[in-house]
Amino acid sequence: MSETKTAKKNSKFWRDNKGLLFIIPWLVGFLIFKGYPFLSSLVYSFTDYQLFNGIKTTGLMNYAKIFSDKKIITSFMTTFRYAFMTVPLKLIFALFVAYILNFKIAGVKMFRTVYYIPSILGGSVAISVLWKAIFKQDGIINMILAFIGIQGPNWLADKGAALFIICLLRVWQFGSSMVIFLAALKGVSPDLYEAASLDGAGKWRQFFTITVPIITPVIFYNLVTQLVQAFQEFNGPYIITQGGPRSATTLVSLLIYNNAFKKYEMGLASAQAWVLFIILMIFTAILQWSQKHWVYYSDEEA
Amino acid sequence: MKKTMSKVLASSLAASMVLGLAACGSSKPAETTAQANAAAETTTAAEAAAATTAAAQEAAGDVTLKMSWWGGDSRHNATLAALDEYMKANPGVKVEADYGAWSGWTDKIATQLAGNSEPDVLQINWNWIYQYSKDGNGFYDMNQAKDFDLSQYDQKLLDQMTINGKLQGIPVSTTGRVFYFNPETFKKAGLEIPKSFADLLAAGPVFQQKLGDDYYPMACGQYDLAILLTYYMQEKYNKAWVENGKLNYSVEELTDGFDFLKSLMKNHVIPSQEKLVGDGADSLDKNPNFIDGHYAGVLEWDSSIKKLTGALADGQSLEIADYPADYGTPSTVFKISMGFAISKNSQHPEEAAKLLQFLLNGDGVKTMALERGVPASAAAQKTLADADILNGMTYDANKAASSNYVFALSPYYEDSKLKDSSEGAYYSIMDAMSYDDEDSATLAQDLIDAVNDCEAQANA
Repeated sequence: MSETKTAKKNSKFWRDNKGLLFIIPWLVGFLIFKGYPFLSSLVYSFTDYQLFNGIKTTGLMNYAKIFSDKKIITSFMTTFRYAFMTVPLKLIFALFVAYILNFKIAGVKMFRTVYYIPSILGGSVAISVLWKAIFKQDGIINMILAFIGIQGPNWLADKGAALFIICLLRVWQFGSSMVIFLAALKGVSPDLYEAASLDGAGKWRQFFTITVPIITPVIFYNLVTQLVQAFQEFNGPYIITQGGPRSATTLVSLLIYNNAFKKYEMGLASAQAWVLFIILMIFTAILQWSQKHWVYYSDEEA
Repeated sequence: MKKTMSKVLASSLAASMVLGLAACGSSKPAETTAQANAAAETTTAAEAAAATTAAAQEAAGDVTLKMSWWGGDSRHNATLAALDEYMKANPGVKVEADYGAWSGWTDKIATQLAGNSEPDVLQINWNWIYQYSKDGNGFYDMNQAKDFDLSQYDQKLLDQMTINGKLQGIPVSTTGRVFYFNPETFKKAGLEIPKSFADLLAAGPVFQQKLGDDYYPMACGQYDLAILLTYYMQEKYNKAWVENGKLNYSVEELTDGFDFLKSLMKNHVIPSQEKLVGDGADSLDKNPNFIDGHYAGVLEWDSSIKKLTGALADGQSLEIADYPADYGTPSTVFKISMGFAISKNSQHPEEAAKLLQFLLNGDGVKTMALERGVPASAAAQKTLADADILNGMTYDANKAASSNYVFALSPYYEDSKLKDSSEGAYYSIMDAMSYDDEDSATLAQDLIDAVNDCEAQANA
């Protein structure tokens, strides 16, 4: 009697929650490939897990090391510098190009495609060869600089310059932000521009008082995604400078990789990953909080 | 309703499985599958005269072995050809190959070892056995392999591959650092190939004045500098670099060593690290200044000579130089360059041992030639000598290195804590010397601390 009752209950549960069946494959994948590593890295971060020696002690020593070890702190500072240099440059550049490509110019469709190409190339080895050829001491950039009488820096060997060329790689790959900006710009009603130009507003004035306020939600979206991406940057320094010269481009994600797969210190690497995660959470939270001061959603006004 | 639901679910699951399979299949190297097919064809056409071993294997059922190695294209082709021969001779065995370039290979193998998913047969670096198999249980004990002929190997080499009485792998070849110079550039400078450090120190200013600021008699990356330092110290003070888990020199002695390296830089013998990094090449063999003869000398492994001469532009060449003996008896850095190990998780260790016997001592030797350096196996050396393959620069350089080393190398000399390009102490210390002109005594103390730490941690 009771058995049939539970069976009935079961079938009712599945009838009401058919959707669950559809997301089960995703759910299983998520739990196994994301959820489990996520939680296990949290556990490992409190141990001295070494890939070939296993776990000997547990405690907070990894976190203590992160906040006292000079090399790790430097790496975090480098990552901040990198992110705060790359993200604004990239967004300004992407918005600028998107603004131009929004005009009705001959061949604009081709330009839209061409400007997206660098983003597809990503961080491949070919790009690292290209970047080194451009920025080596007697490379193209320094040849051009010498031509106009400037002695260019040794880009790959100079600490500041090396970080800058890593930034440039990402700025150069502005395609995806550009496409999103372009879509947003297309959504700005032409009526507003027409009205503004009737009142005598120039292109700059129109851009800053019409375009920018209207697309702030998209700027906000790009800012958050790009910031998260910049903090996790790995490919650029890994393929172009290998973290050098003298650790000047060792961003946190590269340091995590080195600790995990070169020194096999999984515990320390996990802890660093968690500190990075928390920093990202804080920044995202700050941005979320700040948006009510500068992001304009038209539906709120109504 | 329920039925259709489960049908949809089942078919979608099946589809995803098929997709997964397809993805796995495509990752296999095309050549080996082709070879496997060829091997399968020969099975049907197997002649009665085929070796009895083959028959025995067939009786035991088909065996699939996985094998991995790193190297360049010529090594890949030679090894694949040898595997092909082996599969033809042993139709019951299928060998799947996994190969690639050195960069990133250690990370890959380390991950496989940690996850117990390593291939049956793997090419290993000598120091890996100390890193991954501290108790001797990390790899299959080759002493257990009845089908492998260990008598072909020098016992001293086998001892270096043994941990806790367990033979971790077969030493494939040895390698040592050799001085090579570019005779064309030296001729342009009006100089002979240097025979001593004094010649070298004198050549620097001549290069600068006669050929220009961009010409250097020698070029050394950070790790090359560490080896040059070891060479200088072992020659001058006549003691091994590391002994009893400690760097064997006092701060004063090592300060002298760093002063020597600095004198090379001051005399325009070697370029600074800034200059080398600014050249934008990962290694010397890719550096345009080395390729066209601006850097006229290197201190490199004997096994790398093919790579280096192959990279040179037309009209440029390299010559093996005498070991400089200004300060005493030369003792270059000499080590087992690589080995082959069998996985402790292998289902067919005996089959794997037979494959290694074929590749290292048997009929595969000729095909493998000198692609992994001069073989350590006596049988292989004899086969190659008979076939007139055992000559050329690789062989000469190996002979020179093996007769000019006195002290055995510590297995932790190349530990990633010291040698890794982004985390290693050799790199940070040599950079501090080149970029900051750091005080020699400080550098000496830093190096002593780093080496002692590494040895202590390794021996703990």
